[in-house]
Amino acid sequence: MTLLTTTSSIDDSLTKPPGFWTTFRRNRLAFLGLIIISTMVLLSFIGPIFNPYDPDYIDILNTLSAPLSAGHILGTDELGRDVLARLMFGGQISLGIGLAAMALSVILGTAVGMIAGYRGGIIGAVLMRLVDAVMAFPTIFLILALALLINPGIVSTTLLIAFTSWMSVARLVEGQFRSLRNAEYAAAARTMGVSEFRIMISELLPNAFGPIIVIATLNVARAILLESYVSYLGYGIQAPIASWGNMLNNSQLYLTSAPWLAILPGLAITLTVTSFNFIGEGLRSTLEPNR
Amino acid sequence: MANYLLRRSWQSLILLLLVSFIGFGVLHLAPGGPLSQFVPSAGMAQEDIDRITHQMGLDRSFAVQYLEWLRLMVSGDWGNSYRDGISVLSKIASHIRPTLELMVISTVLAALIGCGIGVWGAVRRYSVMDVLSSVGAMFALSIPTFWFGLMAIYFFALELSWFPVGSRTTIGDGSVPDILYHLVLPVSVLALVETAVWAQFMRSAMLEALQQDYIRTAKAKGLSERKVIWSHAIRNALLPMITLVGLQFPILLGGALVAETVFSWPGMGRLFMDSLEYRDYPVVMGILILSAIMTMLGSLIADILYVVADPRIRVN
Amino acid sequence: MDNFTKRSFLKLSASSAALAIAPGLITSSAFAAGKPDAPKGQVIAGLSQEPTVFHPLMPGKEVDRGVWWQLFSTLWFVDDKGTLVPDLAIEVPSVENGGLSEDGLSWKVKLRKDVTWHDGTPFTAQDVKFSLELINNPDFRAGSRIGHSLLKNITVVADDEIHWQTSEVFSPYISLLAQTFIVPKHILADLPDPNKSDFNMAPIGTGAFKWGKRSAGDHLLLEANKNYHGEGPFLERVVFKYIPDQTVQYTQFSSGEIDYIGLNGIQTAFEEDAKKLDGVTINAAPLAFIEYIALNLEFGPFKDLAVRQALYMGMNKQARIDIIYKGRPIGAESYVPRGHWAYKDDLPAHVYDSEGAKAILDKAGWIPGPDGVRVKDGMRLAFTTSTTVGSKSREQAQQFLQQNWAEIGAEMTINNMPGAVLWGDFWQKSQFDSVMVASTFVRGGDPDVTARFSKKAIPAKGGSGNNNYQYQDDEMEELLVAGTREYDQEKRKVIYHRIQEKVREELIFLPVQQSVIVEGTKEDLIGHTPNINSTSNAWNMRTWYWTT
Repeated sequence: MTLLTTTSSIDDSLTKPPGFWTTFRRNRLAFLGLIIISTMVLLSFIGPIFNPYDPDYIDILNTLSAPLSAGHILGTDELGRDVLARLMFGGQISLGIGLAAMALSVILGTAVGMIAGYRGGIIGAVLMRLVDAVMAFPTIFLILALALLINPGIVSTTLLIAFTSWMSVARLVEGQFRSLRNAEYAAAARTMGVSEFRIMISELLPNAFGPIIVIATLNVARAILLESYVSYLGYGIQAPIASWGNMLNNSQLYLTSAPWLAILPGLAITLTVTSFNFIGEGLRSTLEPNR
Repeated sequence: MANYLLRRSWQSLILLLLVSFIGFGVLHLAPGGPLSQFVPSAGMAQEDIDRITHQMGLDRSFAVQYLEWLRLMVSGDWGNSYRDGISVLSKIASHIRPTLELMVISTVLAALIGCGIGVWGAVRRYSVMDVLSSVGAMFALSIPTFWFGLMAIYFFALELSWFPVGSRTTIGDGSVPDILYHLVLPVSVLALVETAVWAQFMRSAMLEALQQDYIRTAKAKGLSERKVIWSHAIRNALLPMITLVGLQFPILLGGALVAETVFSWPGMGRLFMDSLEYRDYPVVMGILILSAIMTMLGSLIADILYVVADPRIRVN
Repeated sequence: MDNFTKRSFLKLSASSAALAIAPGLITSSAFAAGKPDAPKGQVIAGLSQEPTVFHPLMPGKEVDRGVWWQLFSTLWFVDDKGTLVPDLAIEVPSVENGGLSEDGLSWKVKLRKDVTWHDGTPFTAQDVKFSLELINNPDFRAGSRIGHSLLKNITVVADDEIHWQTSEVFSPYISLLAQTFIVPKHILADLPDPNKSDFNMAPIGTGAFKWGKRSAGDHLLLEANKNYHGEGPFLERVVFKYIPDQTVQYTQFSSGEIDYIGLNGIQTAFEEDAKKLDGVTINAAPLAFIEYIALNLEFGPFKDLAVRQALYMGMNKQARIDIIYKGRPIGAESYVPRGHWAYKDDLPAHVYDSEGAKAILDKAGWIPGPDGVRVKDGMRLAFTTSTTVGSKSREQAQQFLQQNWAEIGAEMTINNMPGAVLWGDFWQKSQFDSVMVASTFVRGGDPDVTARFSKKAIPAKGGSGNNNYQYQDDEMEELLVAGTREYDQEKRKVIYHRIQEKVREELIFLPVQQSVIVEGTKEDLIGHTPNINSTSNAWNMRTWYWTT
């Protein structure tokens, strides 16, 4: 299980940031990551227009044909479905789940962190112990146990991943809020009668934007990885819907006869996840040069 | 120190209670039950299922079942497996060894190689090797472990036939060389990700150490760079690494579960997967609780070691 | 021997239908010459599931039963030809030999005197009485009480003779007893909790093999019982090795590490490769499993016979069998497996005809809506089909079926779930639309299906049984009762032929295929005899032996 707990950054430049975009662009790996992600998104969402095959169409007489044969650029799977088409639609699912799970985990984590950090006291302690409790399970164990609760599918898989990824955001936001809740401008706003909620959202939260964006980017990578683990183990996205993870689920049986079924989706996952990680690290060195 | 330990233990107990409640809740809210597995094959009628459900006490309320479980747990009885009646603890005991083999060997390997790469990267900062290893580490952290395992099986077991496809021993063998031979692929797969983590941590710890005043002083005093690095910097950089062993535990255990599935390894991961599938609640709960305990112990030990190793740090 | 080597594999699978009736070309007597005088060598059987239940009267799965057959004995068992063979009993009771009264209510069973338990204690009629009573013990988690609950007045007449009566005539009981293992009274009586004892983890039986050692999660070792009362054993040891991954399992078979691939057999993905292996015997044998699509007959569209007929006709059964299952299974029209004495072989054959299916629906008033899905009286021809997550071939077949049915204007949505969920209330309480499932309808070889089709057996309506389809029919009710009241096989045959006709005509479920298992053994391991009437093809390991 890869939890991206890296502290070092690829290129911790010490120069003062002249501007976000200039600095970010200077980080070549992050820029490369951005290009790869854009390509993946284009291929997944626009690509199907140019590929004549329906990803779910079963061509029972044309199973396991090798790439570049029988009119299929990347070959067909065990049911004669076009692998390229499935990779593209699978990309929509995997990227979609990655982004959605990230968004949910950030919202949940931020909410818990804000309340815990701003309120402090018993509520804060209880919430943070809850964070500790969820973190005490190895992620994959927790996700599999939770998977028992719901019918496997796109929504449930997204929820599962989000539910196991919000804790780091919560910790971060809680820390920020705890240190800032008594800051002068917060106190000033309070005396001016601004509602607590407004203070949290418009005064304190913007201070945590930088680190949140970094964690959010890394969480996309993590969510795509988790989707692949869960679907590979059979508890995630279910056939006939393709995802990069569940395309691998069946591939082990065909390793000798059709290795491309295992190689291609894995490459797609690795490339995408690496790219998000590069971007995340690039953002970190741009937004938080001092960390 | 004693005070600190006491407080930490107390907190951990509360946390465990919370963990057990979450775990038990999840399992018991889940639809289906341990008897469903018999329905399609044995042709048991609904009345048989209902009768056995009642006999096993599974039709009692959640609160009653949880408190009963908790009571027994506190008295040291972790329950018995629904599948074969063996006590949960002995069941875990018989599966933990293969998992520990995987985890310990890969951690040792990863720590050695990772620290080496990290030191080198820090000393030769921004060299081609440093950049390559940093990029490589990022890459390694992004590969799905199971896919890397599949690829290893494809190339090294199926295509080249250098190593076995899976399993811990050749049936009927089980000698040390035989086990080692079976360990090569799964350990390499697990160690890859770990090495990346170790290298990254070591690199930043080393960079920090190299910027300390006394290192500069030592350098200024004219000590050779080699000596400075070996006798001062590395020793100091290794300190924070101690914590990594403890903190890495849950990640390692998760990795082992996946590697065990790919390589048919008869360890805790497989036990967990099988027990989940058959809704063997006592065993699933046992594994969840045990992994939580070990995670907490891991971070506690890491903290203690850190304090013991570095007297400059005082616990508040 | 040559008949069964890889060279003849193709021929074999091509004629597997014919093989069904006599799968055991290798009968024990044909090879009597090669049997060793004393147990010799060991067999390692690779299983893709782990045997975990060892009390043979508790709920167990096929994989557990495979072990029970080695450790325990039944009063009589069904051999591969469908004949009841006495084991612990001296003869199978019948009206002719006086074991069964004319009214079919009183049983007299004479037992062997030369049987001992693995711990040396002699086996007696007390053990039989204890076992039957244990099943009915309210505190005991008995797997099933079907048939046994009718018992009364169980009397031990002598150490080697036991009598009992049943509260009603129930002819399938004789077959059920062929699957009921006898457990030792001297070990299990006087337990404070009949469900908990060391016996469950190290059982003592009267079978050809005795408990050796179990390494949970890995393997189970059984050793030859040299005092076995029947023929054999000819092997010193049997090892059941748990190998969850099918790729690993097959690789270990091809490298010679395991001697026998049992339970699920060789996966279709490896079949081509298996044919090329040297020194192994590949054996394709039909099972009693009928793969079918269970329909919830109370679910809107499925109430209409025309819909069921159209769905059946619109299913490309042959392509499914040929391509997804590599031509292995045999098309089925009945719940009774081919080769069974009650099998009716002239049921109308399935025809795949999309146009015909459309015509049926048109005629019945199911008119295609704007989205192509047919509608009648505001009801869309849309439903879900479920199966267990992870059963690969079935998932593939399901996707293919989805495509087939879309062609005739029926919208099938896949709704798969983990086994523990699917077989829970979802199935038992008939919450499904349709389910793809494989079942053995002939329990212990008996064609009685009261538990499946009787209106009193609908769990969703408070009944007791497995009529999850919620089928209700008066003629069926009469036939089912008549079938269980009759002992004469010829007379029963007529009844069960009519039942099969009804099932096929009314399409209570959509029959698909009879499963065929492809098993592999080493070439010089003799005795593996598929038995369609048994719960496991490892039923006769006691007579397996090595020629080398």
